Amino acid sequence: MRRRVRIAVDALEHLVGGLGTSILAMAGLFWLLAVVVSSLVGVGLPLIGGSLRAVRSIADRERGRLSRWGPAIVGPPPVPDRPSAALRDPAVRRELAWVPVHATFGFAVGIFGLSLPLSALQDLTYPLWYHLAPPGEGAPGIPFWNVDSLAEAFGVALAGLGWLAVLLLAGGALARSQAWPGRRLLGPVPGADLSLRVAELTATRAAALDAHAAELRRIERSLHDGTQNRLVAVTVLLGAARRAYTRDPATGAELLDRAQQAAEEALGELRTVVRGILPPVLDDRGLAGALDGLVAGCALPCDLAVELPVRCAVSVEATAYFVVAEALTNAVRHSGATAATVSVRVDGDRLLIGVGDDGRGGADESAGSGLAGIRRRVEAHDGRFTLTSPPGGPTTMDVELPCGS
Amino acid sequence: MRIVIAEDDALLREGLALLLRAEGLDVVATAGTPAEFLAAVDAHEPDVAIVDVRMPPTHTDEGIVAARAARGRRPGLAVLVLSAYVEQTFATELLAGGAERLGYLLKERVGRVEEFLTALHRVAGGGTAIDPEVVGQLLARGRSDAGLGRLTPREREVLSLMAEGLGNTAIAERLFVTDGAVHKNIRAIFAKLGLAPTDRADRRVTAVLRYLDTTARR
Repeated sequence: MRRRVRIAVDALEHLVGGLGTSILAMAGLFWLLAVVVSSLVGVGLPLIGGSLRAVRSIADRERGRLSRWGPAIVGPPPVPDRPSAALRDPAVRRELAWVPVHATFGFAVGIFGLSLPLSALQDLTYPLWYHLAPPGEGAPGIPFWNVDSLAEAFGVALAGLGWLAVLLLAGGALARSQAWPGRRLLGPVPGADLSLRVAELTATRAAALDAHAAELRRIERSLHDGTQNRLVAVTVLLGAARRAYTRDPATGAELLDRAQQAAEEALGELRTVVRGILPPVLDDRGLAGALDGLVAGCALPCDLAVELPVRCAVSVEATAYFVVAEALTNAVRHSGATAATVSVRVDGDRLLIGVGDDGRGGADESAGSGLAGIRRRVEAHDGRFTLTSPPGGPTTMDVELPCGS
Repeated sequence: MRIVIAEDDALLREGLALLLRAEGLDVVATAGTPAEFLAAVDAHEPDVAIVDVRMPPTHTDEGIVAARAARGRRPGLAVLVLSAYVEQTFATELLAGGAERLGYLLKERVGRVEEFLTALHRVAGGGTAIDPEVVGQLLARGRSDAGLGRLTPREREVLSLMAEGLGNTAIAERLFVTDGAVHKNIRAIFAKLGLAPTDRADRRVTAVLRYLDTTARR
């Protein structure tokens, strides 16, 4: 029973949605008729292209609605610019056939579907208010039935139960029948060329792969130019120490000292690289949770505002995390700030990150702080990085990343 | 011997300079970018340049490009290229104009100070120093080649030592055999590769054969 109710509620939702597009289709139909009539006398001809595009946008709305609900409906290529070509386009012709069907049949089914629960409500509550109804008007929906006793009013309520039963039993079928012309006529023309859709998917996929490759390049670079150089320095210093050992033990000892230092630096850098690849906490708790943890562990009191209705690509989230982590580390180490703010939100397809502190400012990208690393990493994602840090502060950093999702 | 070092990593640059100076070599300048390096070559007229392959701005092959530019400005400049990893195209790009006064070594070989100094002196003296790893890869690629495929393991060993730039006596010492045995191996290699003493036409063959070519002419 509960399943039935859920199906009926879903069906009602679809019916109302379909009613919405059918009203649009109706408007489109009137517009089309006006254009056709005015074209007969010549003045409407320049409007044909625009009206076909209007029909396309209405049809796209229906495609979107049907795709959210059932199997996705792939849209056709754009309407050809020349009206004569457009009118020959099979997809356009099928849309023109769909408009009157959906404007009439779809509208009627939608109204009927919507009236079912309303009628049920009205009839079921009829015994409560039948005595208020103006005499001689008859029961709701049944004008010839003059109700003048409670028993008869309960009879009307029984009819309400009937409406409810119809909704429960036939709601799904109604919604399907309303969607049927759209599914039949708005899908790709049988045997149509799907190359456009394929091209679109290829492009987005390539962009994702590009971001991935940029990430791998960044890792390769930090391993080769950072960690490996440290290790080479270790071997060079060890080699020098070995040569110096017999000649000049004091120098040898100093070289060994420096070699050890370089080895420790190599380890530190390796740790940074590994942490930068994909902080494990991102996987466990998502970006918002990971930032929470970051802020909680920060030595400065930090105000965090995160607004993330959607998840971004993993590499983008990792970069966002890295940016905030580096920026906070900088603030703690160099700024002398007493408080920091972090905000992360999504605007369209961009992830916006802002980190600020009330410290002494004067942050310099070329001074070997993590700032250059932040810029490199952001730019690898085609993002934007802006730093304002006048002497005396405050410092604010704004980063914009494409979400990539 | 006047030396210029071009290496963008500060710690490694200073480490190298320190090592060479401790060995009594004359490091006249160090540079962190290709531009600084070329300026140093002009200003200090070095005999040898030690150059890192990856340098700013893009950290790809700036070092190779700079090394070739330096040789263009100062013919006869010996160049020892240091690389973080073996990259075939870098090696062939570098060796395209002949292998004389050229070296291509993995960075970590510097830590083996005696061998590194030998390689440095060899390059400065007009010879070649190719990293065993580079040679190994060239040979592995050449294995399908009819000539190289016919070499015995010992001959292959001799060939790779030759490609590293070792002379006959050094090869004999390294392999614990007599000079005569090495001679015999080398003659066999030339015969199997079909290399006439003046043969230098085959452009398809790799840097090893190029090297063999110059050895044969000597």
